[in-house]
Amino acid sequence: MLKAEFVEEAVKHGGSTKREKRIKPKFKTGQKVRTRNLNPIGHTRLPRYVRGKLGVIHHDHGIFVFPDTNASGLGEKPQHVYSVRFEAKELWGAPGTGGGVIYIDLWDDYLEPALKRAKPKRVRK
Amino acid sequence: MSKDHHNAPESDVALRVKAIEALLTEKGLVDPLALDKLVDTYENKVGPKNGARVVARAWVDPAYKKRLLSNGTAAIAELGISGMQGEDMVVVENTPKVHNLIVCTLCSCYPWPTLGLPPVWYKSAPFRSRAVSDPRSVLKEFGLELDPKVEIRVWDSSAEVRYMVLPERPKGTENMSEPELAGLVTRDSMIGVTNVTLNSNSGSKA
Repeated sequence: MLKAEFVEEAVKHGGSTKREKRIKPKFKTGQKVRTRNLNPIGHTRLPRYVRGKLGVIHHDHGIFVFPDTNASGLGEKPQHVYSVRFEAKELWGAPGTGGGVIYIDLWDDYLEPALKRAKPKRVRK
Repeated sequence: MSKDHHNAPESDVALRVKAIEALLTEKGLVDPLALDKLVDTYENKVGPKNGARVVARAWVDPAYKKRLLSNGTAAIAELGISGMQGEDMVVVENTPKVHNLIVCTLCSCYPWPTLGLPPVWYKSAPFRSRAVSDPRSVLKEFGLELDPKVEIRVWDSSAEVRYMVLPERPKGTENMSEPELAGLVTRDSMIGVTNVTLNSNSGSKA
């Protein structure tokens, strides 16, 4: 329990969930990724509007506690968190939101490499 | 407190919060004095004036601005600002070509040490959903009509990083001192729903 006399210290320093560990990132800046289509019953920080979507790794924030396991008492499972860039069109369909882009912070476990897919053949009208 | 305090029933939310607080206190899970201190801290001591100091410093000191954009947490701490919900900060810069907007679609994540507690609309479902799906219209409703060529970048604070916008310095402020500049910077401009103007802080502060 947070006692009154420690409030000032707690407010001043907070409690970062960043972890100084040596864990290899699964993805590199600039890499294309697809978010996994996860639908857990418990806590997650993978918003529904961004599940199963294509994005690009914009920045690696470092290693943070994984809320999905931590919130259920299943351990910290620390892993890399990336700022992932999504085009509005990818999330909302054409015409998107007038040239906007959305950046979301996502954990390693939410992502997989974007598969190279064969380009759809042009259909002559 | 309103005059009819003894007559009008309290709102459902207020009653529920009171009941939860009483229960938590009874079970020895929270210290009511600690709660009072926390409320006092964020009602009276920590607020957007902190963020305004950061912005004004970045406007007058290019080296500071560079540090702020590359390591937000450390640069903000240089001004003695740190703590809960600001442990890992990223500052994003508005330019003539790019406008940034901060949101937390999942709940209400917000950089407390620099901006204080979030306004009610920031926590509302309509803002949270429309900020990512239709930001241009949302900004318009805040009175900010951007040139269609300006790219809008929306930052969804879905993880532990907290974001803050470095607004553009308005024209006509070349001779202003750092404290005068800080006086122009509004909370809303650091969330990214408005820009800073010469009279942006003269109206009401909702």
